[in-house]
Amino acid sequence: MPSTSVALTPGLASFLKSLNTNPIDTSIENLISLLKRRQIRHSRSCATATAYLLLRVVSACRTSDPVKLIERVQSVGRRLIAAQPREMVVGNIVRRVLGLIREEAEGDHDAEFALSEAGSESQPQTPRGFDDSSLPLDRDVLRPDADRAASRPPLTSMFSLLSHPVEDDSQPSTPGTQSPRGLPGHGPAKDVRAEVLEGINEITDELDQVDDQISSYALEHIHSNEIILTHTSSTTVQKFLLKAASKRKFTVIHAESFPNNHDATHATVSGNSPADDENLSFEAFQKPLIALGITVILIPDSAVFALMSRVNKVILGTHSVLANGGLVAAAGTRVIARAAKVHQTPVVVVSGVYKLSPVYPFDFDSLIEYGDASKVLPFEDGDLVDQIDVQNPLYDYVPAELVDLYITNLGGHAPSYLYRIVSDHYRKEDISF
Amino acid sequence: MGAKQKGSSKSKGNQAEEVEETLQAVVLADTFETRFEPFTLDKPRCLLPLANTPLIEYTLEFLANAGVEEVFLYGGAHSDKLEKYINASKWRALSSPFKKLTFLKSTSTSVGDVMRDLDGKHLITGDFIVVSGDVISNLPIEGALATHRARREADKNAIMTMVLREAGPNHRTKSSSVSPVFVIDPTKDRCLHYEEIDHHDDDAPTRLNIDTEIILTHSELDIRQDLIDCSIDICTPDVLGLWSDSFDYQSPRKHYLFGVLKDYELNGKTIHTHIIKDHYAARVRNLKAYDAISKDIISRWTYPLCPDTNLLPGHTYDLRKGSLYQEQGVTLARSCVIGRRTVIGKGTSIGDRTTVHSTVLGRNCKIGRNVKLDGAYIWDGVVIGDNTDVPGAIIADNVVIGKGCTVAPGALISHDVKIADGVEVESGKRITKVGRNGTAGPTDSKVVGQGGEGYEFVPGEDDDEEDDDASVASSGLVYRMPGLSLSSASISTLSSEVSDGSWQRSARSSFSDEEEQDHFHHDASVSLFDGLRDGVSADVVQLELVSLRMTANASDVQVRRAIVTSFMKYIQQLMEGGKGAGDAVHEVFSKYREVVERTLFDRNKAEKRDQVDLLLRLQQDLVHRNKGDTVLLFTAKELYDLELVDEEAYEQWWDHERSTESEEMKTVRSQAQQFVDWLANADEEESSEEEDSDEDDE
Repeated sequence: MPSTSVALTPGLASFLKSLNTNPIDTSIENLISLLKRRQIRHSRSCATATAYLLLRVVSACRTSDPVKLIERVQSVGRRLIAAQPREMVVGNIVRRVLGLIREEAEGDHDAEFALSEAGSESQPQTPRGFDDSSLPLDRDVLRPDADRAASRPPLTSMFSLLSHPVEDDSQPSTPGTQSPRGLPGHGPAKDVRAEVLEGINEITDELDQVDDQISSYALEHIHSNEIILTHTSSTTVQKFLLKAASKRKFTVIHAESFPNNHDATHATVSGNSPADDENLSFEAFQKPLIALGITVILIPDSAVFALMSRVNKVILGTHSVLANGGLVAAAGTRVIARAAKVHQTPVVVVSGVYKLSPVYPFDFDSLIEYGDASKVLPFEDGDLVDQIDVQNPLYDYVPAELVDLYITNLGGHAPSYLYRIVSDHYRKEDISF
Repeated sequence: MGAKQKGSSKSKGNQAEEVEETLQAVVLADTFETRFEPFTLDKPRCLLPLANTPLIEYTLEFLANAGVEEVFLYGGAHSDKLEKYINASKWRALSSPFKKLTFLKSTSTSVGDVMRDLDGKHLITGDFIVVSGDVISNLPIEGALATHRARREADKNAIMTMVLREAGPNHRTKSSSVSPVFVIDPTKDRCLHYEEIDHHDDDAPTRLNIDTEIILTHSELDIRQDLIDCSIDICTPDVLGLWSDSFDYQSPRKHYLFGVLKDYELNGKTIHTHIIKDHYAARVRNLKAYDAISKDIISRWTYPLCPDTNLLPGHTYDLRKGSLYQEQGVTLARSCVIGRRTVIGKGTSIGDRTTVHSTVLGRNCKIGRNVKLDGAYIWDGVVIGDNTDVPGAIIADNVVIGKGCTVAPGALISHDVKIADGVEVESGKRITKVGRNGTAGPTDSKVVGQGGEGYEFVPGEDDDEEDDDASVASSGLVYRMPGLSLSSASISTLSSEVSDGSWQRSARSSFSDEEEQDHFHHDASVSLFDGLRDGVSADVVQLELVSLRMTANASDVQVRRAIVTSFMKYIQQLMEGGKGAGDAVHEVFSKYREVVERTLFDRNKAEKRDQVDLLLRLQQDLVHRNKGDTVLLFTAKELYDLELVDEEAYEQWWDHERSTESEEMKTVRSQAQQFVDWLANADEEESSEEEDSDEDDE
């Protein structure tokens, strides 16, 4: 019975499956409609779908010209973002891919012609996973002098005909200097794309590993006999706690996040979460915290304030993180963060870097998605439905001053430091594309 | 790694499933109802905008959500326009979630015809979903589908599953004019009986007739009228076969469902229900539902099918605080007030000091200064002049309304109508420019003012849609009127009646209408007369009469009336052929004594009601006939001789007020006077009875 239902519902799994067989435009439309219909909705699912789609887009793009490649990715990205502007990770992934292309394009010619003033600053830290960073770092360090020697002369005239005036001088370098891994036999044009594809693959790898990387910091933050309060069924948080639970004993208080996520939360706590296809997560294979001997107390959201005085640390998952250090997280998070502030309890937010968005929240309201009102008030209640406006916000905006620490896959950061990570990961010119 | 493995194994499973069965759906774009007139005069109903998105988009979106792969779209009226729209839409594009989208045109005039047509085309290969082209739902259908399939696995006769949404006793989204009542066996989710109760048709039964069989064989029964019937049916191909078998079924519920359930003994097919308690499902069945569902969409009960999902490419709606959806490129004057629950499309401009509340405004509208809009539905390209009030009306595409007008609640103004300055449009008026046959009608300046264009549309009487009247009353003209709350009262009385009515078979004949009686009378008297003329034996005549009586559910009174008419007619014919009155009467009544006897049941009672009735009817009938008085006399005697009518009955007849009510009646019975007198005397002298009657003969 469940297998039939899985076969029917379109979602991340069916999208990824169809990606290889469908023409590229179909896949784009497909993802747009999936995003619109909210059939792909978790941050990571959105990010994964976007990354794989862009992988296809770039590999299907026959042009060797980085400018055209950028234009192509931009146009796809714009449509994806328009489809679901509140899933900010979609934009983040698009921006990172754009950054990759620019970097590869720039890397090939003189630093003085670099497209971005911020370029020299941002280059050393490429948007790859932190443990890969040594490799690109080497390359970037190598680049200026090596490129200068090799890249300029013969092809300039031809490329200037083809490319945008601004990008006039953008041209690929000879393969040898370009990349340590590049194949020498290939034409120069092909290399930009190959590099970009490799970069996107690294992004998808990062998406796969991000929770494990974050959880490796767990022991630094959770100590024995602490009381930890958390909220929602976030996989990242669960892994973080599980990692700590393997070594230490502590108590977890879990707010159930009614009405949008309480079923999932209950399942997480009790350990009988169904194999959730959409998440592509490890949850199904994982033991719940209670199996490791951790005391988990499930509480209604309303009891948060009363219990806060006894809590040592609040650990929260998030939907996305904004450039100012504020976050958009499941509804109810703000109340928890506020209560923690009152009791001077530290609030730790665990989030992959991919959730970090360069968007500055000028208008908080526009970032918050409103969901199905029937989760709050049963639709059967005709009289009330007729006379009452019911609003069911799915997300809360939590201002930066309520958060004490961010733990990403790159380590722990203060909210005030996030701007720096943003500028490391996204190019200035891509922030609003 | 684990995830990848899992994913791949799952996807393999998926492929296997898909090879097995592709899910098909049939969309009935036209439901063959006239409730949306005058808007549907020149536009197919499913292209009418609901919160600025055509209705059909919601339906197709629902099917895409459900994972449907093949869609058959049946166009009805204006199917060329619909086809054009569909061909240009994203559903035809390469990226469409549907592998196949077939547009079928038909000349059908009912849902039944469509289904029979579909059966004839042999397009359906497996289970399929039938929806009408106006369904709004965010329900993931797989749950219902899985239970349907499991049930069908277990029992081949479970042919259909209806998806019903639970809603309380009073709900704006529920249809208020007709309440569908489902009798369900909750243990098996099986629908046992279905009936529609019409609150606006006074002649229609207000009781529910449930077969005693149902009550006797099921230990548990739910009688529910709190369900929204969103007409989403999951069917097996057998369903089409049943449609074809019964060529007279027209509507999917009133005829088909009712009929199939009634004939359970015959065909053994069962129909099941899937009652959902969460998620949204409703059908825009009339204008009241249009209003309610628009509100539901704006208050996000239908999430994610909300304006800010931008279902149509090119839509750029944004949700602001207070359920305000606004597209990019809207011009708002500084001093205008935009209230809650409002949708405003691109290119619309709103003038100074204008207030807008709970209103849907389409694209490129021009709203003047100091206009009041409250609860109105204004489609694309409408121009509204300064100082105009629109407190709740539907204004279709490209309507121009002058300055200082008032459009009262419930008015419907159709495409391209122009209303001159200062006109008051009364509540419930339907103004159109296009006539029923597609050509522009005459302009009625009384309705639209000097310089206006359009005339008042009167919903046609020629529509044989039986609930047309109901639609006039309920659908919507009055969709915002407080008076509508009266329907809640009738619902609550209904529910108590339901419980009473279910236990006693209600006497339907008590208000069986005149028409039916006439039918029976005509049929029965003709058949009796033929029988008499051909000299058929009494048994055969009797048999024929009984069968006629059973089919028409006629009363004894009617039977007597028919007998009297036919007998007297035949006697008259005999007399015209040269027979004496006495002989003729004797011949007929002695031969067919049995037939008459079977209609008289009061032999042993003191008050001879039936016999008196017979005599009265005789008398009445003979008033108009030649030599009526003589015939009456002989008939009275004959009936006495044959011991059909007793002495007491004659007395009672004679004293009955109706037998002397007019001059003609008196004349006709004058000759019988002697017989009655004689009868009175006969009491004293039994023996002389025989002689006297002989004398009377001549």
